[in-house]
Amino acid sequence: MGYTLQYGQVYHYIPYLLGGAWISLQIAFLCFCGGIAIGMLNAVALAFGNRLAAGVARAYVTFFTNTPGLVQIYFIYYALPDLHIVLDSVHAVVLGITLNAGGYLALILRSGFLSVPVNEIDAGVTLGMTRLMLLRYVIVPHMIGVLYPAIGNKFILMVLGTAVAGVFGVEDLMGRTINANAESFRSIELLSITAAIYVAMTICATIALSGVGMALLRRRVRFAG
Amino acid sequence: MAFLQIADLSATYGRSPVLSGVSLAVEKGEVLSLIGPSGSGKSTLLRVLIGLLPPQAGSVTLAGQRVDYAVPAALRALRGRCAIVFQQYNLFQNMTVLNNVMVAPLKIKRRPRPEVEEEARALLGKVGLSAKLHAHPSELSGGQQQRVAIARALAVKPELLLLDEVTSALDPELVQEVLDIIRLLAQEHMTMIAVSHEMGFVREIATKVALMSEGTVVEIGTPAEIFDAPRSERARAFISKIIRAH
Ligand SMILES: Nc1ncnc2c1ncn2[C@@H]1O[C@H](COP(=O)(O)OP(=O)(O)O)[C@@H](O)[C@H]1O
Ligand SMILES: [Mg+2]
Repeated sequence: MGYTLQYGQVYHYIPYLLGGAWISLQIAFLCFCGGIAIGMLNAVALAFGNRLAAGVARAYVTFFTNTPGLVQIYFIYYALPDLHIVLDSVHAVVLGITLNAGGYLALILRSGFLSVPVNEIDAGVTLGMTRLMLLRYVIVPHMIGVLYPAIGNKFILMVLGTAVAGVFGVEDLMGRTINANAESFRSIELLSITAAIYVAMTICATIALSGVGMALLRRRVRFAG
Repeated sequence: MAFLQIADLSATYGRSPVLSGVSLAVEKGEVLSLIGPSGSGKSTLLRVLIGLLPPQAGSVTLAGQRVDYAVPAALRALRGRCAIVFQQYNLFQNMTVLNNVMVAPLKIKRRPRPEVEEEARALLGKVGLSAKLHAHPSELSGGQQQRVAIARALAVKPELLLLDEVTSALDPELVQEVLDIIRLLAQEHMTMIAVSHEMGFVREIATKVALMSEGTVVEIGTPAEIFDAPRSERARAFISKIIRAH
């Protein structure tokens, strides 16, 4: 059972795969932004909402963080049409990943809302800061410092998580890898190139995030993983 | 009437009474040292004075004016004349050392930046931190952080400085660098109320010592009177305890 690596046969797929990577990043970014919006609503409801709002948010978060993301997208793509809601594969995938991210980001954002820099607020109050000044100079910067690494990590996980789109025929990096494989049958070569592209994407995302983080916090933010 | 006159001051946390009937007077240029067992209400007294906890009863008169803690404008005025340094420094972690010192005069008092920055640099020079202007608090030792906190408090040009156990969170070798600055302030006749158990230091700089116990002042006198000839049994017991600890 000899297998001869023949990268020569797949090199011409690289531009095609890179195009897929660009689509993956766009999906990740779109879903991340939507996830932040949904997560913010849920986190506000969880941390500050009345009983009804908090209950709805808790149900949302519990559902989306306790069922597989793949099942959620399957549901949107294959079950919703039975209810006469038909989405094409890209929209189904984007919606699914967004709703799922909204659940996780709600938990992350809530932890930021609940971490209050009590000592710094005391100092600000005694120096004469108004509520607005406390928010602007003390509370929000503190929250950003607490939240930025966790949210950044979530974004990187989402970039990798977009690979699920390929399963539904979307032409993201994984989808194009599946297409190229069906044509060439050079699985090891193609998948190793695809893996390398995913690694490069996460490294770029990490560098970009810590660059933004440094500018934002004017100090180094480290990302795990 | 004294520069700071505290009469029959009481305060509660929720339902539990924490201060009951505290009366004290501090003249301009005096250094009053507050001592007393843990939980006796020393920090609470300072928090009430600076308006972090509303008093339940009693009155505080500063420079002849009664402070109405329920009125925001009165609180603002109070905070222009009075500043506090906390045990845990309470620096703004997201600001550089220089910005920690500049934020109050610049953003709250809205004074012009060049003047504020010059003063802040001078204050940081005074506390020996000219080399750390652009560092963040997390990059400093405890002693350095506490010196920044002192500079930040001085930046509002307070007439009364409150110090809450400013050396008790520090490693022993860092205590002196902070005490040196407070000694300097005492020599400049800064009016201060300092919670401190550094006996030698209190003897040296305090003009008056008040011993607190269970939310009230049980004895007040000169350092010599309190440390060498305590009158009450409670005072004797506490003094012998801190002498043994040193
Ligand atoms: N935030 C708080 N909530 C409720 N009780 C408090 C709080 N802070 C202090 N206390 C209580 O008030 C009393 C006085 O505390 P404190 O003023 O900190 O004493 P000291 O500074 O003399 O050690 C203590 O019994 C303490 O448990
Ligand atoms: Mg205390």
